[in-house]
Amino acid sequence: MIKHPFYLAYGLMLISAVGWTEYRGYGSINLNEVKKVPKTIRDNPGSYRSHYGYVPRYFGGK
Amino acid sequence: MEARALVCPGCGGSVQLRGMTQTASAVCIQCLSIIDTTTPELRIIQQFMAAQRTLPLIPLGTRGKLRGDLYEAIGFQTRQIEVDGMAYEWREYVLFNPYKGFRYLSEYDGHWNDILPIKGLPIPTSGGVSYLNESYKHFQTATAETTYVMGEFPWKVMVGEKADCTDYVSPPRMLSSEKSGNEITWSIGEYMTGAQIAEAFQLKTALPDARGIYANQPSPFGNSVGSSWTLAVFLIAALAGVMVLSSMFMSQKEVFRQKYSFFPRTGVENSFVTSVFPLEGRTTNVELSVNTSLLNQWLYFNFALINDDTGEAYDFGREVSYYNGRDSDGAWSEGSASDTVLIPSIPPGRYYLRVEPEVDAASISSARGVNYEIVLRRDVPFNIPFGIAALLLLIPPVFTTLRKTRFEQARWQESDHAPAASDDDDSDSGDDD
Repeated sequence: MIKHPFYLAYGLMLISAVGWTEYRGYGSINLNEVKKVPKTIRDNPGSYRSHYGYVPRYFGGK
Repeated sequence: MEARALVCPGCGGSVQLRGMTQTASAVCIQCLSIIDTTTPELRIIQQFMAAQRTLPLIPLGTRGKLRGDLYEAIGFQTRQIEVDGMAYEWREYVLFNPYKGFRYLSEYDGHWNDILPIKGLPIPTSGGVSYLNESYKHFQTATAETTYVMGEFPWKVMVGEKADCTDYVSPPRMLSSEKSGNEITWSIGEYMTGAQIAEAFQLKTALPDARGIYANQPSPFGNSVGSSWTLAVFLIAALAGVMVLSSMFMSQKEVFRQKYSFFPRTGVENSFVTSVFPLEGRTTNVELSVNTSLLNQWLYFNFALINDDTGEAYDFGREVSYYNGRDSDGAWSEGSASDTVLIPSIPPGRYYLRVEPEVDAASISSARGVNYEIVLRRDVPFNIPFGIAALLLLIPPVFTTLRKTRFEQARWQESDHAPAASDDDDSDSGDDD
């Protein structure tokens, strides 16, 4: 290990980074974050316009 | 050591003798006569021609300390071999210490070897020889010809004399046999750098830099390949430990589960919100799973995970589609009726989910609809980054291994066992060198 101090440091840094991000909770998706959504959405869900909504799409089969 | 001198019987010039009475021949540099110094009448063994006089990099008479002993350079010769029509020339120096005897230095393209004759006989093995419990691999066999001589030699040297030389390597050592007539002599060489030679002989002029890779040049990677793989195993084991520990300590707690049915209707608002559920603990991920009854249909969900207290929303969309059938190629299927996604780094709080399903209305009967279930779990392990990290951890040892392999390929390129795939490179590197 002493023979490869940079590799050891690189490895420990990588493990620490992976461990820390695992602790903070990885995700497998990109999110769109919206601040200050009004509480009225609970009564009127249709008043909220999703960032991802209303895009024409087709997911056809074979 | 004091130099004696003799008078050349060819030209009457002065010939210095540094090897006391232990040398067998000396060269008159004025008339290029090789004189037999073992007889009182100083017979001329040979007079040779040289278009150009070669100057040794270590001037004759220079003294230097090798392996702790003082030696004087007393002889110099150039020799060459011919391989595939190309002549390769190297230089050899005879060193003398009146108490220790002779030792030799060889130099080729800036690579040096400190050479001593050996008394024992190496044992032939498959692919090489063994000497003092060390295995040497066969490197090259060629006929070497002496092309130029200067100074004194402990044998009756002659320009044009030929010997069959075979080299075996175990870097940094090299075993060499020289067969001349019925006589075979063995010697062992140890690689030295030009800087070491210059320091040993306190040379005023710099020696030429080494070019290419020499037969017994020690690999700069040494044992680093093995030790880097050992470290890689240690680091990957540590990474696996972190993965197992984090999986053990992650709560993976189910915080929401609800079944729904979706009946698409035009002109009707399809979005809805769930009840509020708590996300406890530290900032961590949330796993959302959607299990549907889709068959040959697609369903798209616009999700928003909304913090009821702060009004912060996390928007994302997910597509679920599943198709199957049978055609001339046989049965086929595409997609999946369920979907799972990890929502990263969600702070603790009270949340609800806004769900807005979308569908191709024509493909789903409004009477039958689609059934689906939404499940949310908090603090779920995600192993893919550990796999990526493991691959990243392998980069340094793989890189070191490749560099060592390239070094060894370059070494063996100059041997009788050059890798066949690199024949073209052989000629290229020969030109470069």
